[in-house]
Amino acid sequence: MTSSVGIVLVSHSADLAFGLRSLAEQIGSDTVPLATAGGTEDGRIGTSYALVLAAIRQADQGAGVVVLPDLGSSVLTTRAVLEDHPSPDVRIVDAPFVEGTIAAVVTAATGADLETVVHAAKESRNVPKL
Amino acid sequence: MSPSSDIPAGADAAAPAQVPGPREETTVVLPAHLHARPAGQLAQAAGRFTSTLELVYGDRTVNPRGVLGLMSLGATSGTSVVVRAEGPDAAEAVTALAEVLHAAE
Repeated sequence: MTSSVGIVLVSHSADLAFGLRSLAEQIGSDTVPLATAGGTEDGRIGTSYALVLAAIRQADQGAGVVVLPDLGSSVLTTRAVLEDHPSPDVRIVDAPFVEGTIAAVVTAATGADLETVVHAAKESRNVPKL
Repeated sequence: MSPSSDIPAGADAAAPAQVPGPREETTVVLPAHLHARPAGQLAQAAGRFTSTLELVYGDRTVNPRGVLGLMSLGATSGTSVVVRAEGPDAAEAVTALAEVLHAAE
């Protein structure tokens, strides 16, 4: 099997991003490239252009990258990075942060391609929790 | 997709336009709740097969490739789920998925 699609978690909070990564590794797989960009470079709540760019590069192992932002400026910062470094293989996805991440990681773990992982993450919005 | 009433199942006349593969089905009594981790394992196992897959719990049916749908069933320990597959690797898929369900903790 070729390398799996990479996943990037962009959050205002490093703790939130790390916690979600741990959860995703438990439910999904620790073989999926999973990078986090949480908080600012000096450890405060916020988002960082440099951390997002570094996380995308870390998660990119040739099969594409799905970026999942938590809220607000996570979206804006990710968009700024993608405008400066455009690539058809790096996709920001509008999805619930937790559900979208779990769906994306589990799907990526099966060796699915980028389109399939993007679809799984987006579709998570339509799956009822209860 | 039920056969029309005047054609017996398995009639060897004209083959249907879509040739379905073999169908397989098994029932598993869950040894544990179908919570996050077993759901993740089941979805990953399901992703390896090409057959059409279904997991039935009560009156709900989900595609076992979707981890969130599996979790949303809220299937609890001691209850039964039905694993169904139709396609070229149906038998292998049902066996593999049943194994994951039996091994759930």
